[in-house]
Amino acid sequence: MRSLIRKYAEKLHRDRSIAQGRVGIAAKDDVMLTDGAPDLSRLAADVLSRLSCLGVVAASPSLPFAEFLLRRANADAKAIVPLDTETRTFLHDIPIVRREELAGDPVRAIAAHLSNRKGVIAEGVGIVASGPVTLEQAYIHYSSVFHAAFVKYLLDALQAGFVLPGEAEAFRGFRETFLRPLTAEGLSFRPGPFDDPEEVLSEIRAVGRYTVERGLVDSFFGNISCRVGETIFISQTAASLDELAGCIDPVPMDNRSTTGITASSELLAHRRIYEATGARAILHGHPKFAVAMSMLCEEKDCPVKDCWKDCPNVRMLGNTPVVAGEIGAGGLAVRVPPVIGASGKAIVYGHGVFSIGRDGFEEAFRSMVDVENRCRDEYFRRLDARGQSKSE
Amino acid sequence: MSLRQHILVVDLSSGRMRREEIPPEFLRAYLGGRGLGVRLLRGRHTLSPFDPAMPVVFAVGPLCGTPAPTSARLSVVSRSPLTGTVYDCSAGGRFAWRLRAAGLFAILIEGKSPRPVVLAVTSCGEELLPADDLWGKGIGDTVGALSDRGSVAAIGPAGENGVLFSCIMMGEGNAVGRGGLGAVLGRKNLKAVTVDGDRSVAVADRERFDRARADVLRLFRASPVIFGELGISEYGTPALVDLMRQRRMAPTENFRRTVFDGSSAYSGPAIRAAYGAKKEGCFGCPIRCKKRASDGRALPEYETVSHFGALNAIADLHAIVRGNDACNDLGMDTISAAATLSAWGEARGRFPSPEEIGPLLHDIAHRRGEGVLLAEGSRRMAKALGKPGVSMSVKSLELPAYDPRGAYGMALAYVTSNRGGCHLRAYPISHEILRKPVASDRFSFSGKARMIKIAEDMNAAVDSLVACKFAFFGASLEEYAELLSGVTGEHHTPQGLKEIGERIYLTERFYNAENGFTRSDDDLPVRFFTEAGSSGEGIDVPPIDRARFEEELTKYYRIRGLRDDGSFADDGFLERQP
Repeated sequence: MRSLIRKYAEKLHRDRSIAQGRVGIAAKDDVMLTDGAPDLSRLAADVLSRLSCLGVVAASPSLPFAEFLLRRANADAKAIVPLDTETRTFLHDIPIVRREELAGDPVRAIAAHLSNRKGVIAEGVGIVASGPVTLEQAYIHYSSVFHAAFVKYLLDALQAGFVLPGEAEAFRGFRETFLRPLTAEGLSFRPGPFDDPEEVLSEIRAVGRYTVERGLVDSFFGNISCRVGETIFISQTAASLDELAGCIDPVPMDNRSTTGITASSELLAHRRIYEATGARAILHGHPKFAVAMSMLCEEKDCPVKDCWKDCPNVRMLGNTPVVAGEIGAGGLAVRVPPVIGASGKAIVYGHGVFSIGRDGFEEAFRSMVDVENRCRDEYFRRLDARGQSKSE
Repeated sequence: MSLRQHILVVDLSSGRMRREEIPPEFLRAYLGGRGLGVRLLRGRHTLSPFDPAMPVVFAVGPLCGTPAPTSARLSVVSRSPLTGTVYDCSAGGRFAWRLRAAGLFAILIEGKSPRPVVLAVTSCGEELLPADDLWGKGIGDTVGALSDRGSVAAIGPAGENGVLFSCIMMGEGNAVGRGGLGAVLGRKNLKAVTVDGDRSVAVADRERFDRARADVLRLFRASPVIFGELGISEYGTPALVDLMRQRRMAPTENFRRTVFDGSSAYSGPAIRAAYGAKKEGCFGCPIRCKKRASDGRALPEYETVSHFGALNAIADLHAIVRGNDACNDLGMDTISAAATLSAWGEARGRFPSPEEIGPLLHDIAHRRGEGVLLAEGSRRMAKALGKPGVSMSVKSLELPAYDPRGAYGMALAYVTSNRGGCHLRAYPISHEILRKPVASDRFSFSGKARMIKIAEDMNAAVDSLVACKFAFFGASLEEYAELLSGVTGEHHTPQGLKEIGERIYLTERFYNAENGFTRSDDDLPVRFFTEAGSSGEGIDVPPIDRARFEEELTKYYRIRGLRDDGSFADDGFLERQP
């Protein structure tokens, strides 16, 4: 268990989702084990002792976005409600715990919210998340809250500007220092198409790791596949893309075996994309600027209410189509395949990017990098334009 | 939902019946279903399962009758004649929904009727009907004869003849399958219970309920196990056949091996191809995992095909389906029936042939020939034959189709289960194999003691709601607590539900302890510690490390607040419970 605690602390550092050294992790078997910053690990342990869970992560995020969202929320708001698909599906909402509520018994206040939700934002503390079944879950839930807060803050800042003291300066630091150029340079891809299953498995493992290392996905999000003949090799559901060894299912195209019941929930989308495009490789990730930009629709007086799943239109972000659709057995598998072939990439509203490679993964990877860079550029162009129009 | 709920108390000895209000504190502390039944057993939990005074409780949960997904389930609770433990078992179909529509939350049946009877319940009242002409009939004929009385729960010849693994069959083809509760009804001369009604169930906070329901359905759609194109909605639970083969943990030839080369004969796709399997669901369930042949027959579940298949070395799908048909009509648990035949096969040096299965099942149900011994279940049968090691059971309950050498959480959960060797109490297959909600290392004991404890508590709450375990391949207690909040108008949390589950689990264990169960009963068959499974294809399946297993079991007891020998440090535990 101690090795797992260290593993997830290191992953959080590598993800760049926590401030340096500001994480505490507690895990409980028959005894309580903790590691990390003393104040945060004590908090994690105290919270965990009140819950029927296996682990708790408490950390100060590397960016102040969650804290800003909390402070920007209405005084009577009990939660923030990001509208990206991951939050809608898995988190539902994210409780916020204000300083006043933490003043008495902070452990009790945080535990009370975690008894009902996967993660909370605590003012002046950061994000605290629980893992009911495994310690990995606590890491995943922290990561999910960080991701959701990141995307929501991008949108809120674009739509309402900076309203708190220090917000503009912090955002400038994020833009100029935190963000790194996103590139595929320096990575090594095997040329496809592939016919050797071992070669495929090795390449999928490598490319999965690249997507995490280059910041195209947080570790837990996304999926990846490669078609070899009449078999799709696809990452398993709930698999971390940087740890795919032993987590890739071979699934026959004709469904003569159900071994792939553990395959990614996007298996159907992958299969339909292969059928529609003749591609050999598919990448799916949740790069944050693409997710945020996909949720900006300028349609006026639109009758569609649940745009994220019901919008029938294909919008364009540059040369990349944006479509709506629920994950899994929802509409995504219907709407992505017809539109992805032309440019080799597509964005799903509030969800993430699919990209394809006609032979191997290099094309798919470069496409995803390209989409995210274009969305990043477009985001800042709009933000700058907003600032200029306000100053005028 | 109001906390004013009613129970029908039926004394079969006198024929007296009365409707009473259930103490609201019972519903707050135990929810319904399994929890309520366990609470209602208190004070009589040390009676013999066949003592006329031993109650059998039929109970629904607070979500039943509402559009809460997968929640129209019935729990039946008593003491098992097979295991001697407190025992609950649940089933879907339409019975639970109609029981609620009859204005009832539960039925408690005690006593023994002097003649075979049927208990017929409607929203207008209840009556005991003579059933001499139904006694001896199979489930199909019994259900057919009672078809104008709503939903039917009936026993077959196996229950009448006291087969220790006889079940209670629902008219829709679902089963209160395990633990021999059919024999308890049989001993009471109760052939069937029918229910019908027209009352609806109120939802206190419709907006909250609808939001939670939408969340649940979204999670179902996001789950590959539920609605994936290879998932259980498409193929039923036989979708697991190929997976268990690939993971090399399909019990084969009485658990001597863990891979059966003929398993593709009864996989999900093979059943679909052979029988044109159509989807069918329990009341209000969107998953519809039950599969029915084009001729209307209920098709077998994963456990059934695997145990009549691999466990008995049979690769004949039609013979397996016929075995399932026979069990359903005779009223017997398919898992225990197939596992007992397999143990008997190992003991005599030859597993039954496909042609022998049907006649043997009829012999068991009617307790004739070899069936006299086989009707006692594998543990008693093996002991009588002087070969106790061939019974692959825990607390006399035959193990289902997940070899514990391939999933160490499952190994631990088999022994800590309060009803014996059951996969559903903690259901670690969910994370060890199906990766839901996240994956855990199936070949490691690390952290498993606490995982199992938490899951047992959670599932005790789920069994008391009463929701289907399959729902939790997608949703979680988070969404179901919201559904409950919407129905009751009171605020419920996952943590609160797990605390209720813990109370239920510990109560069951306390009952078992008072019936003489100790740590020595929390053990696996020796085979799993001494013989390897079928390694290959890069997967090593060694014997389970006995010392590590015992260490984790001791951890489990400590996490539960028990002594290292598994006993209660607090003799007054029960008195302090509501």
